[in-house]
This record gives sequence, structure tokens and C-alpha cells, in this order.
Amino acid sequence: MLSVENLTVCYGQMKALRSVSIEISAGQMVALIGANGSGKTTLLNAISGLVPIEEGRIIWEDQSLNGFPPDKLCRKGIIQVPEGRKLFPSMTVEENLIMGAYHPNVRKKAQESLQKVFSSFPRLADRRRQFAGSLSGGEQQMVAMGRALMAKPRLLMLDEPSLGLSPKAAAEIFEIIRELNKEGITILLVSQEVMQTLAITTYGYVLENGVLVLQGDCKQLQEDPKVKTSYLGM
Amino acid sequence: MDAVLIFQSLISGIMMGMVYALLGVGFSLTWGVMHVIHISHGAFGLLGAYAAYSLLQYFGVDPIASAAMSVPLLFLMACGLYQLLIRPITRAKNIIMASMILTFGLAIILENIMALIWKADPRVLTPAYSSGALIVGPFYFQYPHLVGFGLSLVGITALYLFLKKTYTGMAVRAAWQQPEAARLYGVNLFQISMITFALAVSTAGAGGICLALLNSFEPHSHNLWLIYLFLVVIVGGVGNVIGTALAGLIIGVITGLSMAFLPFQWVNLVTFGLLMVFLIFRPHGIFKQEGL
Ligand SMILES: Nc1ncnc2c1ncn2[C@@H]1O[C@H](COP(=O)(O)OP(=O)(O)OP(=O)(O)O)[C@@H](O)[C@H]1O
Ligand SMILES: [Mg+2]
Repeated sequence: MLSVENLTVCYGQMKALRSVSIEISAGQMVALIGANGSGKTTLLNAISGLVPIEEGRIIWEDQSLNGFPPDKLCRKGIIQVPEGRKLFPSMTVEENLIMGAYHPNVRKKAQESLQKVFSSFPRLADRRRQFAGSLSGGEQQMVAMGRALMAKPRLLMLDEPSLGLSPKAAAEIFEIIRELNKEGITILLVSQEVMQTLAITTYGYVLENGVLVLQGDCKQLQEDPKVKTSYLGM
Repeated sequence: MDAVLIFQSLISGIMMGMVYALLGVGFSLTWGVMHVIHISHGAFGLLGAYAAYSLLQYFGVDPIASAAMSVPLLFLMACGLYQLLIRPITRAKNIIMASMILTFGLAIILENIMALIWKADPRVLTPAYSSGALIVGPFYFQYPHLVGFGLSLVGITALYLFLKKTYTGMAVRAAWQQPEAARLYGVNLFQISMITFALAVSTAGAGGICLALLNSFEPHSHNLWLIYLFLVVIVGGVGNVIGTALAGLIIGVITGLSMAFLPFQWVNLVTFGLLMVFLIFRPHGIFKQEGL
């Protein structure tokens, strides 16, 4: 479905990613883990078209995505839930969700999608007229995910969806992600909760200073001594 | 003090304030959404006023019709101007600075063109009903003032509904609050910036016509208007439409009252003293929530 080939991304002089290659096939749930500053967000942003590609290619269903701007990419169903949620703080919950259905391919279905999101996240229905900025962290993450669902994702990339949440709220979010995958949405999950992430994903990539150092089935990664020492503190 | 005089100046203040609000909303949006401080905003308002003046003078076109026509015409012109002048400078490191310098130049060019065409004499918009007035008890409302106020109210309401109810309007707000997320969900920032700029310029034109119904104007009047624009935006909060509208009213009332009770020389002193006080104590405006 998506393949990233030898991707290099620079911020000025600094190489944030060096020749990174990953492969995601339809229906899969893939994990991307790595320490702070290892380039996880950069990889997602490169796929979303937010940061320019220095070298390499991004291929989506036999089509090169290099140079596509984000507003065109989302029409293909490549949707990102950005790090820190990035809601529209002075818009209501409902307006935030509606903005998820902004792109023309999904706009006509917006009301229908909205009802679906409200039925999956009843708490958002109660708060639909509240400003998004006034919600709790867990509720904000739900808005962020609801907004992404409004865009009818085929590949959903989640950047640290449990950041700053209580263990209970985090577990809830992970459960929702698993449900979404069951419904057929392909998932790329970035998270610092390495244990939980590897438990629900099938394949994983490990980034270190912009370089892919490890990849494999999540079962294998869970047993890997390097993963254990670096990320699980064992 | 005379209660009738207070009330009368309060009402004129509110009328004036509504016009400031219409002029200010666009200024605030370009600033908030695009980080462009559009110094020639007032000059476009003045261009609207002069166009309405000539249309009235030579073709007998009522300022209400001129205001309605100016909106689509200025919208198209501003789209071209955006592509030609504004879009290139959005690549600048310091957009605010670059945009101020560029549009300062544009304001001077516009001012000189207006001085060439319409000469430096002060002008007034005098539609057929200009000497009429609505008299309610002891109060006295000149028709042109009522028209200017009414048009401004319509303009602001339309802009508010556009921003609140349409997809494009929501994209304008989204792009201002969280540009990166807006892009991720399909908003083309260049397109939205162009629409924002064009809306701002066209409401400036309509606002200029409204202001011309209340005050006389000359080619350099936009300089003073600009200072009021800054005042309205700083009090109301950048990018905040409702805040800007309320700030316009507040400032209108303050100037209205000071005009009635203070010697002429004191009016600007009070108004701009207020601007400084605001900048010192409430640099983000008076409203807590960045509303709409
Ligand atoms: N806009 C930017 N300009 C310059 N450097 C940047 C920018 N964004 C990220 N970087 C740098 O690129 C590197 C990778 O950053 P990135 O945000 O991709 O890491 P990350 O793995 O997502 O980290 P975290 O876990 O903290 O979110 C870091 O060294 C960071 O400082
Ligand atoms: Mg990150």
C-alpha cells in the first residue's frame, strides 16, 4: 500500500532522516518507535507532505507521492493525527470534526460521518458546542481521532496519541486504535509506550538518530535485547 | 451634564464604531490568518470612498449600490494583487516586517493616485437624502449616518456568517488557529490566504464608503484611519471578528463622548492614550477567549 524508499530528509544542514525505508501493506498495523528526536515525527510529516524530501521516494499504490502538498495527499486517504493533537482551539468540537471532512472527496458525507463519530465517541456528542481548547487531554485526543475519521482514512498515522494521558485514558485510546484496524483501516502508530504499542501491532520499525536500526515482527521485537534495554528499561 | 447630549453622542459613537468595526475586521483577519499587517488597508477603504464619490457625482449612483458593487470588484482586484505582491513575500523570513514595508509603499502609491485623480480637496458623500434626518423625540439621526451604520452592520454580519457557516470560512479560521493541521485535512493555505486578503480588501472598500457617509475625506485620510484600525485590532484581539466588532463599538463610543465633551485637540490624545494603555496592560486584547 505504502512504501518509503531510501528517504532522506533535512532541516537546513541537519539530516533528520537518512535513507529510511519502510513498507506498509493494506490492513496492517505497524509500529514506529524510537527515542526523542530520532525522527519519528519527521517521517510521518514527510509522508504527509509537510516536510520536503531530500532524497528517496514515497510510493502509494504504484504512484509516487514526492512533491505532493498535504492538502492533496489527504484526498488519497493518507491521514495523520499529529503529535500534540493540533486541534483548532477556538473552534467547537463539532467544527473541529467538520474540518476533518474538508477535502472534497468526503465533504458530502460530512453529516453522516459526524453521526458515526458521535456514536463511537459519545462524550464528544455531549461537548459538541464546547471549544476544543477547553477539553481535557483525553477528550482532545478523541477529537483529534474523530477529526481524522471524518476524513475517511485508508492509512491512519497516529503520532504519540497517548502522550500526556493517564494510563486509563491511554489504554482507551489504544483500544480504539485496535478497533479501527479491525474495521479495515491501515495503521501506522508512533508511540513511546513501547510495550503497549508492540502488544497491539504486528510489525515494527525502530529509529535511532534518523536511521532505521531494527525492524521485525512485534513478537520478535518484544524479545529483542536491544529493544528491551533501550526502550523497556529491562 | 446634559443627558440628551450624552445619549446623542453615545448613539453617534455606536454608529461610528460599527463602521470602524467593518473596516477593522478585515485588517484583523489578514493580520491573524496571514501574518500580513496590511498598511494599505485604509487606502483601499479610501479608494472605495472615492469611487462611490465619483459614481454619485457623475452617474447618480447611490452609495449603497456602490458599496454593493465595490465588494466583488475589489475582491477580484485583491486576488490579483495577492498573487502579484503578497504571495511572493510570504516566503520572507519575517513576513510581518516585509508585509508592512511592502504595503506601506502600496498605500503611498494609492494615496498619490487618488490625489492625482480626485485632487487634495476634502470630499463628502452627499446622496439625495444627505440633508434628511430621523428625529425621535429630542434625538436626531442623520440619514447618511444611519445608512453607513446599517451597511456596516450588514457587512459584519455577512462576514461573521461566512466565517461561521461555510466550509471556506471555517478553513480561514482553521488556518489562523492551527495552519499545519489545516493543511493535513485539505486546506490549501495559499488559496485561503488569497480569499482572506480579498475579503479584507473588499470589506475595506465597503467600510470606506460607510465612513465617507459619516466623515469628509481626502487622499491622506487613510493614515488616520489606519491608526484607528490598529486601535480596534489591538483592543479586540488579532483575528477575532467578534472582538474586533466590539472593540470598534467601544472605541466609537469613547471617541463619540470625547468629541462631545472635550476640546477638539483632546480627542486624539484620549484615543491614542488608550491605545498605549492597552498595549501595556492587555497586549492580546480585552477578550480572554480567542473567539471567532
Ligand atoms: N522544524 C524543524 N526544524 C529543524 N529541526 C527540526 C525540526 N523538526 C524536527 N527537527 C529535528 O529533527 C530531529 C528529529 O525530530 P522529530 O520531531 O522527527 O523526532 P521525534 O522522533 O518525533 O521526537 P519526539 O519523540 O520527541 O517527538 C530532531 O533532532 C529535531 O530537533
Ligand atoms: Mg515526534
